[in-house]
Amino acid sequence: MSKEIINIGIVSKGRLKKESEKIFKKKKLKIYYNKRELLGKIKDRPNIRVLFLHAREIIEQIAIGKLDIGISGFDLLKESEINIQKNIKVEKKLNFGFANLILAVREEFIDVFTTLDLDEVADEFRKKNKRLIRIGSKYPNLTRQYLYSRGVTNFSIVKSRGATESMAAISTAELISDITSSGQTLKANKLRILSDGEILKSQACLMSSKLSKNKKGLKKLIKNLI
Amino acid sequence: MKSKNLSNKILRLIKSKGFKNIELDPVLETKYILQRSGENIRKYLFSFYNSDGRELCLRPDLTISSLLRYAQNNINAKEKVFYTGSAFRKSYNKKNVVVKQIGMEIFSSKNENKDDKEILDTSIKIIKKIGFKKANVKIGNFKLFELLIKKLSMPQRWKSRLLKFYWNEKYFSELLKRLQSNSDIDPIVVAGDKKNYLKMKKENPNKIIAGRSYREIIERYERKINDPRTVETGKYSVKIIREFLKIKCSLKDAPKKLNTFYKKYNLNISVGKDFFPISNLKQKGINFEFSTSNGRGKDVEYYSSFIFSIEVRFKNSIKTLVAGGRYNDLTSKILGLKKIPAVGAAINL
Repeated sequence: MSKEIINIGIVSKGRLKKESEKIFKKKKLKIYYNKRELLGKIKDRPNIRVLFLHAREIIEQIAIGKLDIGISGFDLLKESEINIQKNIKVEKKLNFGFANLILAVREEFIDVFTTLDLDEVADEFRKKNKRLIRIGSKYPNLTRQYLYSRGVTNFSIVKSRGATESMAAISTAELISDITSSGQTLKANKLRILSDGEILKSQACLMSSKLSKNKKGLKKLIKNLI
Repeated sequence: MKSKNLSNKILRLIKSKGFKNIELDPVLETKYILQRSGENIRKYLFSFYNSDGRELCLRPDLTISSLLRYAQNNINAKEKVFYTGSAFRKSYNKKNVVVKQIGMEIFSSKNENKDDKEILDTSIKIIKKIGFKKANVKIGNFKLFELLIKKLSMPQRWKSRLLKFYWNEKYFSELLKRLQSNSDIDPIVVAGDKKNYLKMKKENPNKIIAGRSYREIIERYERKINDPRTVETGKYSVKIIREFLKIKCSLKDAPKKLNTFYKKYNLNISVGKDFFPISNLKQKGINFEFSTSNGRGKDVEYYSSFIFSIEVRFKNSIKTLVAGGRYNDLTSKILGLKKIPAVGAAINL
């Protein structure tokens, strides 16, 4: 991509897309695009290109400098590899996209109230079943880091690609860690959040690439957006 | 003094004390490292998969390698060994990726106190041999904390938790806050669980949910509700623990200071000199210091009783040159192998 063009990444669908567009509109940078098109423009700003991408891809592209700025989730940034994180600066935490990454068990696990209980149950589970208790998650790094910091080590992570809440019901995992905003989906799937099971508070963030910091006009654009 | 000359001097001294030189494998099975409970160590590991699917890693620590060698060779007799080599840990600082270590260990002690003394004495001799005229020897003993916890009034599961997380200073402090306040108990969730409990009691106890039987869940739940923690006793126990962890004095005064503390709270505990394996406290230039918190906050949760470190002043800063202790439970509780009483020390060059 050209050095002169400023590339902005925005989530390609859903509420994050709508809220991100609002932010730009408020700053008199209305985004124009044709329906189904994944490239957008901003009126009278030919040096700005908007790319509609998956939230994870926005983070990856910012890290390698293909995108100069973007809006994506704080959870996805913290879950990414350290080489990605070190190239990204969080410019501003935005007032939308609030959600928590949590650890939840089946509601029948009435004896598992905290990660302390989980630690003890995981030890017993291993002795009895000759295998580790499984945690289904789209966030293996954050989940592993959180549990290790609380002394829980007898577990394995089963990577989820979606519908994580169903994993405990269909026996692909014994418990799950997932992102939730209202907790309704968890409740509907008979899952209960551990009392100290909040792994990360997340929200949408405006992020910039540290590799693009000298790009002409970028500083001014970021200043305008925050 | 050049580093190679320095290591040779240390190695000659250790050898002269009857320790046998051993070679250690640079690669270990990762499971032995990950089973070390309570430690966030994976982020430091250089790990990879072998063609047979086993996850292997470069040794992040030589103590574990030496212990695995002893356990896997089925040696039962007492063995005094030393080794030298590199340990490998991921780091943001290139200098710390490869750490040169010299270590000595005594496995299967017949007389633990005597062997503890030997490791400490040899460590002090090493410090003197390499030219340090002054050193601060810091000593602690996990058994003292274990004795205290046994005497305090709280549910058994809480005793186990405090013992397990003693070394993890930050998390331990969070546990104490919970213990004294019950702040982590949400009455709405408790009521919901009670309702589920009554419902589950009526169902088939062999029914399995997420890998656990209803019987198992109900039994553990009942154990918990029949042995609750109360804010009042929790507060009192926390007060005692916090005061205990602040005890710090010269090693000479340690038994007296500890016994005064135990007496103050009517704990019916008495400690003698056998908790502190050193016979000669009057060594020129060596200061012996005792603290109930020695070693906490560091990655040393496998120590089961005596723990020590030796600090010296080097280029205007304080450096820990030798650290070690007794780790009788590392093989059985953490590596999942047979129990091997062991004591050792690592010299950090």
